[in-house]
Parts: sequence; C-alpha cells; structure tokens
Amino acid sequence: MTKRKIDTATSAKKVISRRKFLGTAAATTAAAGAITGFPAIVRAADPVRTIGLGVSIINEIQSQAGKDLGFPVRGQALGYGAMFGKMLNQNEQYEVAEGYYNDYDVMVPAKVWQPIDTKRIKRWDQVTNLSKTGKLTADSNPGQGDAPFRHLWIDANGNRVDGPSRYITSVPSWHNADSLGYNPDETGRKIESWAELFSPDFKGRVALLNTPQIGVMDAAMGIEALGLKKFGDKGDMTKPEIDFMVDFLIKKKKEGHFRAFWETFGQSVNLMVSGEVALESMWSPAVTAIKAEGVSCIYAALKEGYRGWHGGLSISAKTSGKALDQAYEYINWWLDGWAGAFVARQGYYMSVTDTVKTSLEPAEWDYWYEGKPAAKELSDPFGTPIVPKGEVRDGGSYWDRFGNIAVWNSLMKENDYLVKRWTEFLQA
Amino acid sequence: MAQLDHAPHPGLIGAQPAPPPEVVEQTKIYRREGGFPISWLVAPATLWLFLFLVVPLLSIVVFSFWKSTGYGMEPGFTLDAYQNYFEVEGFFDASHRKFLTPSVFVSTLFSTFKFTVVVMFFCLLLGYPIAYFLAMQVKAFKWQLSLFLVCMVPFWTSYLIRAVAWIPMLGRRGLLNTFLLYMDIVDKPVTFLLYSEFGYVMALVQIYVVLIVGPIFFSLAKIDDDILEAARDMGATSFQIFREIIGPLSLPGVAIGLIFIFVMLMGEFATAVVVYGGKTSTTGTVILNFYGVANYPASAVNALMLMLAMMIGVIVILRVVNIRKEL
Repeated sequence: MTKRKIDTATSAKKVISRRKFLGTAAATTAAAGAITGFPAIVRAADPVRTIGLGVSIINEIQSQAGKDLGFPVRGQALGYGAMFGKMLNQNEQYEVAEGYYNDYDVMVPAKVWQPIDTKRIKRWDQVTNLSKTGKLTADSNPGQGDAPFRHLWIDANGNRVDGPSRYITSVPSWHNADSLGYNPDETGRKIESWAELFSPDFKGRVALLNTPQIGVMDAAMGIEALGLKKFGDKGDMTKPEIDFMVDFLIKKKKEGHFRAFWETFGQSVNLMVSGEVALESMWSPAVTAIKAEGVSCIYAALKEGYRGWHGGLSISAKTSGKALDQAYEYINWWLDGWAGAFVARQGYYMSVTDTVKTSLEPAEWDYWYEGKPAAKELSDPFGTPIVPKGEVRDGGSYWDRFGNIAVWNSLMKENDYLVKRWTEFLQA
Repeated sequence: MAQLDHAPHPGLIGAQPAPPPEVVEQTKIYRREGGFPISWLVAPATLWLFLFLVVPLLSIVVFSFWKSTGYGMEPGFTLDAYQNYFEVEGFFDASHRKFLTPSVFVSTLFSTFKFTVVVMFFCLLLGYPIAYFLAMQVKAFKWQLSLFLVCMVPFWTSYLIRAVAWIPMLGRRGLLNTFLLYMDIVDKPVTFLLYSEFGYVMALVQIYVVLIVGPIFFSLAKIDDDILEAARDMGATSFQIFREIIGPLSLPGVAIGLIFIFVMLMGEFATAVVVYGGKTSTTGTVILNFYGVANYPASAVNALMLMLAMMIGVIVILRVVNIRKEL
C-alpha cells in the first residue's frame, strides 16, 4: 500500500513538472508575441483562417470568397479587445488579420505580420491615393493621426520607411468617416459643429464613446470647435494637452453633462432609440439601425471635418507555402468588387472603387458613393430594405467626406498617461 | 459528523451500548484503506487547479515585473508598472491639488470596494428574509423546493440580459417613468433611475441577491426544529430565539454567501458599463483598458492589487465568522 502511494506521488510530480514547463513556455511565447520565424506546418486542404471585427467578418463574405476561390475561408469575428489580443499574441492561429491602422504602432514593431509584396496585389495600381498619400483628391486634407498612409510603407524586413516602397504592412480596404449622430426631434435644430457635443442645451442628453483612444478624439474635436484650445496633433497629444482636455471633461461630467458612455455598437443604438440621449458619438451603421426602430436620426455633416478610420488586410508572419498563396488570393479577392459592394450596402467604403462601381447597381452606387438621392428603394446586404426612394445619404459623396477628415483614429505615444487620466475622468 | 457519537435523541429503546473497541478500530482501518487512495482522489483537482489557477497566477506575478514595450512586454525586472500604479504627481507637495490623495488606480480600487460593500449590505438585507421565509415559514418541502427554484429563474437567462433588462424598466421612456408621468407624479421623466449610482446598486443587488439566498437557505434549513421547539417551551421570545439560535446557526451560510458575492462584485465590470453607462471605472475596466493596448504589466499589477484586496476581504469575513467552528 505504502509503496503504491509513493509511486503515484512521484509520477504525478513528473507530469506536473513537464506540464508546468509546457504551460509556462506557451504562456511566455504567447504573451511576449515577439518571437517569430517558426516554420508553419501547413497541410494541403487547410482553409484560410481570418480574424477581425464584425465589420468585415460576416458569414456571407467569407463563404462567397470560399466559393469564388475554391478553398475554404474560415472567418472569426471578435470583439475589439479580443481581436487585438489574438492578432498580437496568437499569430499562429490565423493567416489573415483584418485589422485597423490605429493599432499598427503596436502590430508593426511586434512583427507579428509579414511584409506584403505589392507585386502580388493584382489591383495595387487601382488602390486610391487616400491610403497611399493621404490625399483622395488633389485638394484633400490628409488629417491628423494614424492615417493609413503613415503606417503603410515598410521594407522587406518589416521596418518602417517613408514614402512609397514595394512592401506594405497591409492592403488598405474598408474605411469610413465617423461623426456625431443626433435625433433632430430631440435637438430641435441642425447639428453642424463638434462644439454641440458640449452645448449646455443638451446637458444630460449626450453620450460619448468609452474607449479612451477614440473617445478623446471626439472630445478634442469639440474642444477645438469651441475655441478653447488648439491641439498640436489630436492624434498624438502631449501630456499638458491631455491634462487640459481631461480637466475640461471632468468639469462637464460633474455638471451632469453626460448621460452615458457606450462601449458597443448595440449600446449606442439603444441609447438613441430609448430616448436617453439626443446627441452622441456614433458609427454610421448605427443610423440605419436606429431608423429601423422608427426613431429619426441624422449622421451629422460637421464643418470641422470627420474622424476617419481605415481597415487593412495583413498576413501573419507564420504563414508560408501554399497557405501564403491562399492568403494572397483571399486578399486580392477583397479588391475584386463583390466584397466592396457588400460592405458598401452597410455604408462602408473600399480602397478600390472601380470594381465596387461595377458590382453595385447604378442606383446603389449613386446613393452610397455619389451622395445622390436614391433612385429607388435600396436594401442592406441581407436584402432588408433600409433606404426609401428619394433619400440622400447624410454628409454627401465619398469624395466630400474623405476630402475632409480632421483626424484619424489613433494610438498616442502618451497612451498610458491617457488611460490613467481617462480612468480619473470616469471616476470623477 | 460529531452527532453520530452522541445522538441527541436516543429514542424509545434508550442509549445504545458502545460498540466493542475492535469494531471501532476495524472501521477506522476500513475508512483509511478502503476505496481509492486519497492521493488519487485529489489528483485531478490538484492538477486542474495547478495548471489553470496556480500557473496563471504565478505568471501574472511574473508579468507584473516585466517591461512594457508598447507592443507587448519583454522579460526583465522593473517596478515601472507598480510605479505607474501608485505614483501621484504632487503627492508630497502641500500646495498641489493632489496633495496626499491616492493614485487614480488605488482610488478606483477603493470605489470598487465601496460599491461592493454597499451592494453586499443590501443583498444581505433582502436575501436573509427571503431565505428565512423559504426555510422557516414554508413548511412543505415541495413548496420550499419550487419557491427556491423560482428564486433561481433569473439564472436561466444570460448575465448581460439581466443587466440590459433594466433599461426598459428604469429609462426615460421606461415602465417606471411612464407610470410616474401617467399618474401625474412628475411632469417630466426622472433621470436618476438609470445611468446613476442608484440604478447601478439596484441592478447589482438584483443580480447577486440570489447568490446569497442559497447558502443562507441551506444553513437555515439545517436547523433542527426540535431546538426551536425546546426554546419556545422554555419561554424564549421569537427575538430571543433568533438572537440565540437561528442567527448564530445561520452565520456560516451568511459568511459563505457574502464571500461568494464579494469576490464576484470586486471583479465586476459589465454592469458598470450597461446600467451605469460606464460612468464609473472599476478595477475590472482598468484591466481591460490596459489589456486593450497591450500594456500587460499594467494589467497584471491591477489584477494583483484586486486579488490582494479580495484576499483581505475574504480573510476579514472569515475572521468575523469562524465557519469551521460554526459548521
């Protein structure tokens, strides 16, 4: 009996120590995220695994890609934090990352992705200058912050370079311009400036986005519009600038100016539909969702400009061989028009517009891109009618909107300090 | 199992003769040697806890000393994350507005703790009578069980739905406001119900009260009716019975219930977002914010401090109620 006990104990110890080693090793590798260069083992029938947000990972899109390309494409839609964490720490878990340029200050130095060779992107020449130079048209304002053209160019080793080069961090894809959304029945007037975000008329009826990195952009737009302060670079504020802004926000919060801070798309819709807020920072598909509930909502065209964001398709550093070819095929497929047309019906724009134009019906193109009145009733990508005949898209044409981006979603150098002060703001 | 040695009611046949010593010895041997060896029985749980609790916890401790690179972290030994956690500009400067104020992360932990204590208080205030009613007033076991199950109904839906459901109840156009307006009690919707401390505490109490009802109910249900009857026969008032018998005997349940909800409330962040409209930050949201920008050492330090606070809290509760003794 005693003998048996001892045996069990030793073998259990052995198991534990081996497991412990493996577990710790895995955890360390995953968390450090900087160790790359392990050869990927790929079998012939492996699907392309792609991860991102619900903006681009939608069953219909990836299954259509699978049909067109002849190999399965498996998409995983995650929440923002989960997407960010997985892209950074588990790049052996995906081939394609459908990420956002405001995270590239983290992703690019971490080298979790491999440089993309523009020679393998068929329609590279058709990609607009918005993402290449920041100027969609000759007189466009490129805007402050993490614009795609500031995070696009790298060398073959993945190090940043200025200006055009053969290698890029990711293929620019869907993007949009965010603004304030409001219920005209509640505000009683047209909203034309970011300053309205802090107007005493809407005290207790305003919501902000509760992501420090993006919420502060909207706040900074409002503070500048009020003429309280001019920020050097809203996409990369200094500590004194952050202090000024947060102190102002704390003052407004104590006055009871904010009704809530929203975290998810659904929350922003609920806030407006339930009549809790009259005015809030908002993402454009929310307008459609709110109108679908019978509540009027306008996506404001603000004179100071929009807050832009841009998505891109990247390839994991651990992808090679056939999987790499398939990843390129999938990325090329995104620029072929079908996917661009799909996301256009949700209000997003694509970096290659020529193919989107041919994939959309003329009435759709005129409404979504040209900003013209809808010639007929239009549907969302799932076939639900959402645009009545004659309606005009708020904010005008694509070129009007993206010629006027004031600031792009950004990650600041002083981000730790920002998070600290933002916590203080919420705590106040 | 102390009762077995001297059963309180020997019954009509009187006290049983003590078993002969050999039998007692035999039983002990049987207990010790029979069936699976103890080490086998505890091995799966130990292994599980070691791999999925001890190892991750140790990694959190280790990571808290690593260096944040802006895109992850690298091994090393630095107190940067701790400094960021505790540091307050102007703490020692008498003229500064932050003179002797705790850092924002420390005060976040305090406010998390403050809400936790308030919610625990109301949970106990509401939960105890519910459990008391179930265990003491409802006589038929059938009804006890079905009412107890009714208490559990909220658990049949997801946690988030329970939190979200407060919006149509307490919102500007919610049920309560519609009623108040209809009855002409107010002339415009009251806004303090939702996205307020009031709404936040109320939602948390609703979500967690059930968790405290369970343990209290079980410890109340265990109380022998004969003891209560004896007390009544001796002329004790209801209050005396409660103070001398029911109260002390139900303390373990109270303590277990409080520990349950204490630990869950300290880690709370979703309700703060949904019902309080994100207007406060809890340590949970801070951890999430730092995780969201790949500053893992800062997340780790916040997690450790939270854990430390939880441990202290649990120890305090256990000090007040000696569960071992009471059971």
